[in-house]
Amino acid sequence: MPVISLVLGFLSAAPLFFAIGVNPILAYQQVLGVFLSVDGLTESLTRGIPLMLASIGLCLPFKMNFWNIGAEGQLFMGAFGATAMVFLLPESPAFILLGSMMIMGFIFGGLWGLIPAYLKARLEVNEVLTTLMLNSVAILWVDYLVYGPWRDPEGFGFPLTPMFPLNARLPWIPGTRIHAGLLIGLICAVIVYVFLARSKWGYELKVTGESRLAAKYAGINYLRLTLLVMLISGGLAGLAGMGLVSGIVLRLRHGISPGYGYSAIIIAWLARLHPLAAIPVSILFGGLLVAGDALQIGLGLAFATALVFQALILLFVVGAEVLTRYRLVLTWERS
Amino acid sequence: MSLLAHTVQAGTPLLFGTVGEIYAERSGVLNLGVEGMMAIGALIAFMTSFYTGNIGLAIASAMIAGALLSLIHAFLSTSMRANQIVSGLAITILGLGLSGFLGKPMIGMTAPRLTSFPIPILAEIPIIGPILFSQDVLVYTSILSALVLWFVLFKTRPGLNARSVGENPAMADSLGLNVYLIRYVCVLLGGVMAGLAGAYLSLMYTPLWIEGMTAGRGWIVIALTIFATWNPLRALLGAYLFGGVYALQFRLQAIGIATQTPQFLLMLPYITAIVGLVLISAEAVKRRIGVPAALGLPYVRGES
Repeated sequence: MPVISLVLGFLSAAPLFFAIGVNPILAYQQVLGVFLSVDGLTESLTRGIPLMLASIGLCLPFKMNFWNIGAEGQLFMGAFGATAMVFLLPESPAFILLGSMMIMGFIFGGLWGLIPAYLKARLEVNEVLTTLMLNSVAILWVDYLVYGPWRDPEGFGFPLTPMFPLNARLPWIPGTRIHAGLLIGLICAVIVYVFLARSKWGYELKVTGESRLAAKYAGINYLRLTLLVMLISGGLAGLAGMGLVSGIVLRLRHGISPGYGYSAIIIAWLARLHPLAAIPVSILFGGLLVAGDALQIGLGLAFATALVFQALILLFVVGAEVLTRYRLVLTWERS
Repeated sequence: MSLLAHTVQAGTPLLFGTVGEIYAERSGVLNLGVEGMMAIGALIAFMTSFYTGNIGLAIASAMIAGALLSLIHAFLSTSMRANQIVSGLAITILGLGLSGFLGKPMIGMTAPRLTSFPIPILAEIPIIGPILFSQDVLVYTSILSALVLWFVLFKTRPGLNARSVGENPAMADSLGLNVYLIRYVCVLLGGVMAGLAGAYLSLMYTPLWIEGMTAGRGWIVIALTIFATWNPLRALLGAYLFGGVYALQFRLQAIGIATQTPQFLLMLPYITAIVGLVLISAEAVKRRIGVPAALGLPYVRGES
């Protein structure tokens, strides 16, 4: 069923191509080309890595009904933390530098997630709004750094840091751009899955998600749970950020993430909050991003086409999901 | 152009968007799709102006485009009881995507724009005249709409109904209010206003079509909605305050002062929103100017 809505959503873009004077068949050919070629697939995997890490992380808070919309900001903070390490320890051996970058990426992302967690658990402050606001703050913070103190003096004034030295780059599979982040992502997926399915906190999490009141009566400490969950969720998003700067872009720059944090929300939701399912969905979305590039280069279309695909697929899935969840009888009732 | 006049212009799209979002959220629907609706409004307005040269038509079609997009969100979140966050984000992504997709051929081009329309006598008033009364039609509309919609929201029955739907939909329903219809109307209003905001951006504020015209203003609108404590009058204050930040930052760049500090200034709407939320969280204050209690929750008759 979800596959059908996926395909339908995908095809529904056809009239749009007509509207812009492009033969939809050509467009779909380009897109299929992405998924049917080795290069396309490896690139999809690469682009899917940050999405994977972030969306796996999001499964946790969402499952407990804590709406973490802040993955984007947590990602940026993680990227910031990782980059800070590069500036602090530029000469260290790769093993140490990369390790510290990962740790810092996780910590900074996690800390950024702890703020809204604390505010919600202690003061009932709406977490959708706080996480959303913090996104913009994080993005602006990185902007400040890359336009200012961290700007590459040889970068022609562009808002980016100097390129990372070799010891700051994640190892990658030769011939592709797939970097170690993939391995980390897969491992995290398993860890998070086990955490959810087997651990005490996973259980507490699910109970809280069903009913906070029931959780309270069961003696579950909402504050501790929320803080832990958001530390992990933010931390994973932070790792995604670290992977971006250390594995793909190889520097920190303005707009390091073009909305990956938001896409991750969609992915987590599409994966029904199941960490293992987030893997293929992330790769699919990564593929859509590559397709966007392909359409841009091949047919001169805007990269934004990838977003259109994302949105249409999502809307169709939302529609389908609700139709199956409720046996809907649409009547106009007046009380 | 004076700094203050520029402030008013920079604040206008924020004002439109915020007032619309206030209505949507007051009725209990969180609309995260503002950014996408603005983007679509900007695109449709520009496109219409480009192909027909008719500004009025351009503005009208932007309003319709915003409304259509918000209709999807309203349908999904109200009738379909879907998750409002996912639905809103889907709309944002769709709006941004469509805007970029359909706008690609027009990048860098210009289209007939809004002209300024000084109000006959008022424009002569020494200092305020050039700032407030020598602007264009949409600026006046934005101020008027803020005032009118404030009045409607707080001083009329329909406004009271909208607010009660957002506070306690079950109670409102049992009192005979059509919760779904009210939410639809409020969300559609939000869409129309967002469309207007976008139209202003592409027909007046920016000289030509560029990608990413909205530049995150949709998120600022959501922050300003909180900052304004869901009150259209305070939205005026907030919108112009941050319009001022935009205008100031622009001037600083033009003079050549390093572009470092703008980021901290630009953080202000978001930080104040968070601080505001924390302050509001005190229970007593909540009852007076708080978050609409049912914000973000789908209403299902029969569930408590």
